Amino acid sequence: MPSPTPAPLLVIAALAVAASSTLVAKSQLTPRRPAPSQSQPQAQAASPINRALIVLDPAHGGPDAGAPLGDQLVEKDFTLAFALRLRAALQTAGFTVLTLRDSDPTVAFPTDQRAEIANRSRALACLVLHATATGSGVHVYASTLQAADAPDPVVSARVNEAFEPVPWDRAQAGSVRQSLQLEKDVAAAVGVANLPLIAGRASVRPLDNLTCPAVAVELAPLIADGQDTVPITDAGYQQHVANALTRALLTWRGHADPALPARPSPPERPPVGGSR
Amino acid sequence: MIPRYQRILFWGLLGGIVAMALVLLRGCEQARERLTRHRDETPLAAPTLSPTETVTLLLAKDSDGSITPFDRDIALPAEPTSRARALLTRLIVEYSGNDSTHPLESGPAVDDVFLLDLPLRPPKPLPPGAEAKTGPDAAALPLAADQPGKLQSSYLQDFSGQLAIVNLRGTFADHHPSGIEPESLTVQSILATLHANFPRIRQVRFLVDGQPRETLNGHADLLRVYPIDATTASREEPQP
Repeated sequence: MPSPTPAPLLVIAALAVAASSTLVAKSQLTPRRPAPSQSQPQAQAASPINRALIVLDPAHGGPDAGAPLGDQLVEKDFTLAFALRLRAALQTAGFTVLTLRDSDPTVAFPTDQRAEIANRSRALACLVLHATATGSGVHVYASTLQAADAPDPVVSARVNEAFEPVPWDRAQAGSVRQSLQLEKDVAAAVGVANLPLIAGRASVRPLDNLTCPAVAVELAPLIADGQDTVPITDAGYQQHVANALTRALLTWRGHADPALPARPSPPERPPVGGSR
Repeated sequence: MIPRYQRILFWGLLGGIVAMALVLLRGCEQARERLTRHRDETPLAAPTLSPTETVTLLLAKDSDGSITPFDRDIALPAEPTSRARALLTRLIVEYSGNDSTHPLESGPAVDDVFLLDLPLRPPKPLPPGAEAKTGPDAAALPLAADQPGKLQSSYLQDFSGQLAIVNLRGTFADHHPSGIEPESLTVQSILATLHANFPRIRQVRFLVDGQPRETLNGHADLLRVYPIDATTASREEPQP
């Protein structure tokens, strides 16, 4: 006949089991406190860039119509249409494309929100697309920010944890040198395509808030001496510009990391559901 | 058959509507004439005789995105803020001509220009119980030279020279050609012209109708403080 277990031992065992299960559940539910360096927004940018990802920002949208480009056309509609055309060309060349808007939003889509999405993507390059009825050809602009003293705030953050945070309005400072190289690559490709070009630096949101190498590309009607003006709605003209930008980004991929070959990588399948 | 009193009522109402429309149109015309007459002819300051002098205007060109210096002989007031305002007014007038290389709509563009010495310093905190001064006397408050850096605005940092605040008119901004190129050229033309004629100006800030505004007309950022040297030096020639 088995000896009966004393009641106090049963109670103690039950309490021990309950306490251990509670501790295990708490350890699973409570998020780990991030290390000091991880709590800074700059540290999130320490992940390597996605060398196949290009971010396209069709500027304006919603209540912000942008510049009037004709009787029936406004800038927000043109930039969206051109972004879709450029996305197709880039995907054909093997890039993955993140388009910040696929349609005309019903509410305002602020530039800060666009920059935040782009910064989280860690893209190889960010292109902000604009259009105007003034001037001729393609206009390319990089940020007017002066390059940061440190080569990269992320690197300095790793070296010295007591770094100062980068202000939001100067987020691009760490990438200005790369952006200027990207601008040169775009300018060279546009020149090879025999398109009029204006290259410079401008203070346009959200260029200063982007952490990726970024330029603003603005399309204007094509005005050539002795020839009729080609409107920016011309499909052939748009495709010509899209092809030039694609060549520029292929060149830029080689400049972004000279150790790797500049030739295009094999085409990658876009993520499930298509790129946005 | 429409009763006679209804026909009389109908024609009476119609006549009243027409008469009221005519009175309204006439009233609008008179109001506009009155406003225009006051704006154009009312003297606000005693006329002064200023000698003609040579100034440098940095004029933009849309076709190639360049900014080129041109000399003009104009009469300018001696007082610095009025001088800067007259200079920018003349600059915008250059762009409203038929042969302009950077066409802008004609009309008043610059309301005021204020010049402030840098570095700006926050006022010293008032002792408990003291009333804060307002109005023009507020500028005479003692400066907290011993407590710099309390405010973290970028234009309060240790710079020498002057900060120019250019107050543009809302109608000018609303009717400005929209686009990165035309708006940036206008801003840089203003900055470069100020820098060429007022070498002490190191930074420029823009307001529109006395209020901060995000962009000139959808593109060029007007919320930032423009360091004038960096901006004027940032123009690049096309590099195909």
